Order: sequence, then C-alpha cells, then structure tokens
Amino acid sequence: MSPTKNDAPRRLFRAIATDVHFWIPLSVLVGGLVLLDKLR
Amino acid sequence: MSASRLRSLQGLGIFCGFAAGAWLGGAEAPIKLVNPDISPITVSLIMVCGVFLARWSVPAFIRGTSHVRNDVRQAPHLIVWAVLAGCMWAVANTLTIYAIRNVGLSIAFPLWNTNSLLGIFWGWLLFNELHYAGWKRWLGVLGGALAMLAGATLLAIASSHQAAPGKAALGVFAALGAGILWGTMYIPYRKAYLTGMNPMSFITFFTVGELATMTLLAVGYRGATPLWHELVNARAVLFWLMLGGFVWVIGDLFQQYATKYVGISRGIPLSNTNQLWGLLWGALVFHELQGAGRAVYVQVAGGSILMALGAVGIALSSATAREHSSWQDAADREGERYGVEGEYVRAGMEGRAYGAVSNRRTVTDWILILGTTALFVALATLAKLPRLGISAGWAVALAAAMLALLATCGISLWRTTRFR
Repeated sequence: MSPTKNDAPRRLFRAIATDVHFWIPLSVLVGGLVLLDKLR
Repeated sequence: MSASRLRSLQGLGIFCGFAAGAWLGGAEAPIKLVNPDISPITVSLIMVCGVFLARWSVPAFIRGTSHVRNDVRQAPHLIVWAVLAGCMWAVANTLTIYAIRNVGLSIAFPLWNTNSLLGIFWGWLLFNELHYAGWKRWLGVLGGALAMLAGATLLAIASSHQAAPGKAALGVFAALGAGILWGTMYIPYRKAYLTGMNPMSFITFFTVGELATMTLLAVGYRGATPLWHELVNARAVLFWLMLGGFVWVIGDLFQQYATKYVGISRGIPLSNTNQLWGLLWGALVFHELQGAGRAVYVQVAGGSILMALGAVGIALSSATAREHSSWQDAADREGERYGVEGEYVRAGMEGRAYGAVSNRRTVTDWILILGTTALFVALATLAKLPRLGISAGWAVALAAAMLALLATCGISLWRTTRFR
C-alpha cells in the first residue's frame, strides 16, 4: 500500500523521533534548563 | 557541481562569515547606550523582540514570505529543528548573564567561545565535514579556531576591568553551559541547510522558539507585573535595544549563509571575529580603554593579531571537491530520512532555484515591512540619547565600514545565489 497524505504527520513524527540528531540538541536544551534552574 | 561553482560558493561563504563578524560585533554599540540599571533578563527580552520583528520583516523585504511557505512545503520537519534551535539560543543567552555576573567577562567569554570547537566536532561527526580534507586543512581549521580562542581570551581579559568574581564555580558552569548550548545549536542549522532550506525561511521559525523561551524565562524570573512596569519605565531605551537586535539579525543572517556554504566547522569560527568588532566599537567610539596601562594595550594588540591570523587560517582552508562530495552524502542521507525531493536538496546546496515561486510581495509582506518600520519610527520618537562621551567620527567610520560590507556581501549573495 502506498503512503497516503494522512500518514504524513505520523511518518514525520517517526522520522524525527528515531533521529539521534534530534535527541542530542534536545538533551542539551533540557540540561541547560536544569542548570538555569540551579543558578536562580 | 562544477569546480568553479564550488569555488565561488566557498568564497561567498567565507565572505559571509567575515560580514557576520562585523554586524554581530556592531550590534553591541546601541546596547552600550543603555542605562545599566535595567535587569539583564529584561534587556535580553527587549532585544529579542527587535530580533523577532527583524527575522520576519527582512525576509519579507528581500524574498517575500511565499518562499518561506514553499520551503515549509518541501521540508516541514525543519520547523521543529528551527524552533528547537531558537529555544537553545534563548537559554544560552540567559546563561551568559549569570556567567558574567559570577566570574566576569574575561573568564566567561573564552569559556562560551569554545562553541566553535564543539561546532567543528559536531560538523565532523554528524555531517561529514572535514572528511578527506587532508592535514593542511585540518590544521587550518582547528589551528585557526584555537588561535581565535587564544586571541578571544586575551581580548576578554583586556576589556574587563569591572569583573566581580563571586560564585566562581556557578559562573564557570553557566559559561560552559552556554558554550555547549550554542555549539550544539549548530546541529539544527547544518541539518536545515544540508536539506536545502533557505536561511531566510529557517530564521522565521527559529525566532518563534527564541521569543517564546525568552518570554517564559523573563516572566518566570521577574514576574509578569514587575516585568511590565520595567518595560514601561524603559520606553526611552526600547529603540536602542531593539535596534541592537535588528543589527544583530543582519549579522546572524550572514552567519546562516556562511554555515550553509562553508559548513559549521568554518562558518562559526569566522563569525566569532565579532569580538574584534565589538572591541573596535568599545575602544574607538566609547573610549573604553582610556587610561588603561601598557599591559592592556599589549593584550589587545596580541589578541587581535591572534584572532585575525586564526580567521585567515580558516579562510584559506575551504572545502575541496572530495570533502564537498562527502557533504553531499550527508545531504542524501537527510533527504532520504525525511522524504525530501533529491532535486530540492541539490538545488539548495548549489544555491540555485527550485521550482517556480513568485517573487511578488503579498499583503502579508507589506504589513510586516511597513508595520516594523512604523514601530521603529514610533520608538525612535520616544528614545533619548544618553549623555555619553562618544566619538561621533569613529562611529560614522565604523558604521560606514559595516554598510560597505553589507552592500558588497549582499550583492555577492544576490549575484551568486539570488539569496538562496
């Protein structure tokens, strides 16, 4: 079965969620927010 | 891509890196006119408001927002990357405030300037940058970045007489945190440009993350009502801070083009020459080194020479055809993962047109351009010029140099890529 237009958001989500390039900046961002909280 | 096209794109990217340094450094000038009594978080928030307006109105003026819509249609996943990068920028910028407060600029600046070394690492590890580059280019890029870091350290020491070390460890962590955030923020940048996105489109979504995070941080730290009162009381300086943000966006736009055409390993260190320009504004226009001893002048001269040599080393180490083909492999991988059309990715990398998009300005474009202009004019009428002993002659000379760089680099970008 060929992918339909309705599948597009799900495929996009899957592609991002399984991309290690996404998790590196996201983890660094979370780390930065934690550090900021400690500094307050 | 032909060898001559690759050479001209590499030259263009390096030129953009130097222009970025001038405009990012010049953005410090309007901010120096502002009373230091306003809290740093509020200063950042006002600047980011100016940045937000510039990031939407400048692309509307240069290319029209129909190009943004076209880019989003081709690579919708890049909205997520752009917003993520914007959030990272805002958190890093807030961390620098704590870093300067706790350890002073002389220690904080070199620590967060390590972002260029991290950028080189991510470029090499994730995007095939410097692959097949040969030891001479490795030496040029890595040696150049290290020389610039050493130069930046000397300049920071020379220009920080007022540092008040307090909670040292916290300050060091804050500065290192900012460097890590900024260095890692270049992953989304590179990802976007390898996939063919136009820098003008990327920055419009980047700034959504930037403004949302900065607003949340400012409200969280200051409280909504005190923040509002501070903003109202700061109306006489709103223009200068937002102008600083606007100038900063021009520099950042050149930095984005540098990243696109020479990668993060070369583009980021080159735009870090902003420290030299900041020093020029501080020393020549605001007389910040007046009365300083001989040792300070030696540090300034040494730091400037080291930074300039480092930048020249990087500029002379542009990518070879073999290295560029490995960038292409990384671009193909991205295109395949996110289902982006191969021709769109290639056209983006080569700075040429993809598909037929109207260059006509829409009503939205004119609202953005005229609305931003009207707001800046209104704020300018409220603005007051503080009584500072500034050297107007040097201010005009440096502004003329920046405008000359804007014109020449802008024309080169237009002729070579039509701002693609």
